Amino acid sequence: MAAQYKTIHPVKYYRDFLAHDLRPDGRSPDKTRNVTVNVNSISTADGSSTVRIGNTTVICGIKAELGKPKPDEPECGFMVPNVELPPLCSPLFRPGPPSEEAQAMTCFVSQATSDMVDLKELCVSTDNLAWVLHIDMICLDYDGCVQDACLIALSAALRTVKLPKVEYDAETKLPSVSLDERADLHVKSSPVSTSFAVFDDEIILSDPTGEEENLSSAKLSVVTDGEVILSVHKPGGSALSETQLQDCISVAKDRANLVNELINVALSSVDR
Amino acid sequence: MIPTPDPAYRVGDSVLPGDDVSAAVRTGDVSKIVLGPGLRRLGSQVVVSRAGVLKMPKNNVFVVDAYQKRYIPVKDEHVVGVVTNASSDVFRVDIGASVTASLSYLDFEHATKKNRPNIQVGDVVYAKLSTAGRDMEPELVCVDTHGKAGKLGKLEDGFLLTCSLNLIRKLLSVNCPLLQALGQKWPYECAFGMNGKVWIKARSVKETIAIGNAIYESELMDNAQIKKMCTNLGLVIDSM
Amino acid sequence: MADMSGQASGEDHKLRPFYCELNVLSRPDGSAIVTQGETAAIAGVYGPIEVKPNKIHIEKATVEGIYRPKSGLPCVSDRLCETTLQNTFEAAVLTSQYPRTLISISVQEMQDSGGLLACAINAGCLALMNSGLSMKFLVAAVHCMINKTGEVILDPDNKQLKDSCASLMFAFDNVDKNIVSSSTHGRFTEAQYQEALLRCRTASTEIFQLYRDMVKKYAPTMG
Repeated sequence: MAAQYKTIHPVKYYRDFLAHDLRPDGRSPDKTRNVTVNVNSISTADGSSTVRIGNTTVICGIKAELGKPKPDEPECGFMVPNVELPPLCSPLFRPGPPSEEAQAMTCFVSQATSDMVDLKELCVSTDNLAWVLHIDMICLDYDGCVQDACLIALSAALRTVKLPKVEYDAETKLPSVSLDERADLHVKSSPVSTSFAVFDDEIILSDPTGEEENLSSAKLSVVTDGEVILSVHKPGGSALSETQLQDCISVAKDRANLVNELINVALSSVDR
Repeated sequence: MIPTPDPAYRVGDSVLPGDDVSAAVRTGDVSKIVLGPGLRRLGSQVVVSRAGVLKMPKNNVFVVDAYQKRYIPVKDEHVVGVVTNASSDVFRVDIGASVTASLSYLDFEHATKKNRPNIQVGDVVYAKLSTAGRDMEPELVCVDTHGKAGKLGKLEDGFLLTCSLNLIRKLLSVNCPLLQALGQKWPYECAFGMNGKVWIKARSVKETIAIGNAIYESELMDNAQIKKMCTNLGLVIDSM
Repeated sequence: MADMSGQASGEDHKLRPFYCELNVLSRPDGSAIVTQGETAAIAGVYGPIEVKPNKIHIEKATVEGIYRPKSGLPCVSDRLCETTLQNTFEAAVLTSQYPRTLISISVQEMQDSGGLLACAINAGCLALMNSGLSMKFLVAAVHCMINKTGEVILDPDNKQLKDSCASLMFAFDNVDKNIVSSSTHGRFTEAQYQEALLRCRTASTEIFQLYRDMVKKYAPTMG
């Protein structure tokens, strides 16, 4: 019966659950899902990780390449994050050029991670040679909060990157790479994003599933790094009061600490 | 929270979407009030849904008068439309709404299965909406309930222009002098659709243009100004 | 047609001069141009119009927000801006009134000297007002920044933004003055966020007053 009821009246189905402060998956509205982090999952990449939040799965691979810096920023390297939502992850997406959602997500992730690495450290030789980090995040299972998973995956993968030592010979204009001497990338901050969905204009669900996101009247994401807020991104939807936003921020802060601990545990478990 | 000032809105005030006008519509001892376009009920409140002026055209009937260009079909209104497809049994007519309206070939005077009205793509028709609603496709008819065409049907020749819905309502109101004042200058035929489309047929191109411009110009004029404009227009056109 | 201007009084919460004009374009069903200081945006609304079958909603209207930069095509970084516009307007429009139709809101950047997204939201909202579409509430967006000493500066221009360590944009509704949209760049603390939020909210009442004056000004032209 429950399955039919859910199909016919999804909103009412949720309302019945939420009346008892519960969600269909057994969580209370402010509880987040379990997060799993696995690093160095792709051996051919310079840095990689796999992150699961509930069913949502994102795999992140970082490829380091040498390139020429931009003329207007000769001392900076590049970080090029890209989120991919292939048709595999959800029936919402079709093959072809990146969907609007994927583009918006890429934009969100690149904004939140813009100050994780000092781009000047990626520079090998001013105006001649710099590292380009291609960061590809591919969603394998789309079940809500993909942007959170992307950010965790990126953050974990970035910490596994070991760049080889490069010398640039100004005369021959050729780089010499010593693959044996590798150094960790210096990651300055550890942003963690937590998303929320607003159901029926007033109930805030932390870490919503894909289904909950679909039924929600608004979505918002809070990116925090310790006590600092990096972004409170609420693109429209039903209006929220200040206190509701404050609650979200405090939930996000608590979760960020847990997630960062988790990333550290995952990193220390691999053979370094 | 900033305490929102709660001014008591009255009829004639300009209101914004979201304003609570319950106080204004509950004046006097009325058991029944009618909420027209621009007002909606939200629980026990009456809330404005578009920016404009709160008006009471009849007793206990309230509307918010707002500027509008896009037509939303309303049953029984007369509209002017352009035929966009005449190949099947049902003509498609563009009346400026979100979808084209349908007009059956049988809904013309004297039309039978054998006697199909001569309607081509691009023809202008003056018709009445027999069905309209947000969940249904609008349907047009060119006959009244007795099967007579009256003034409805295909409009031959002439010139079609588009204006705001407010202008149509203004020109069709009883006390608007424009059409009469123009009629004293030159003989002309016209059809005003509530969808903001006006069809004019005058004796010459010069006169058609003059009438069309007079209609556009009258949007921002009061009655005295309209009369004066028509007099001036007559003098200018006659001297050309 | 007539134009309106407003400037906030008092040093504490000063918005740049706000000018707007309605019904500036002949083709769209509603249009508006807004300038806030040197920043300018023009918006046009078409709707309700026919919707593509792949975007149709049976029970409500599809709201489409289009953002066009000053030159070239919209790039990936404009997408976030576009989704914010789209979702903000979708919340404001009474979409259940127009099922199976499309409401298309295009905003064209004219000049950006700080706070373009806020200006775009305000222009879009005025265009929606001008179109006569049914709305649940109006939105007013205010942009502010936090400078290096941690002060909140309201509605900064490009020159001031060079000295910023964070910039924040909020959009409020006119009924409960709640937060419809929030978009931020840079790092800040929770206390700073709250302060910026309060300041912007106070400033938003001025924009709502301007909207009201605008309706008053245009009322006689409606015959």
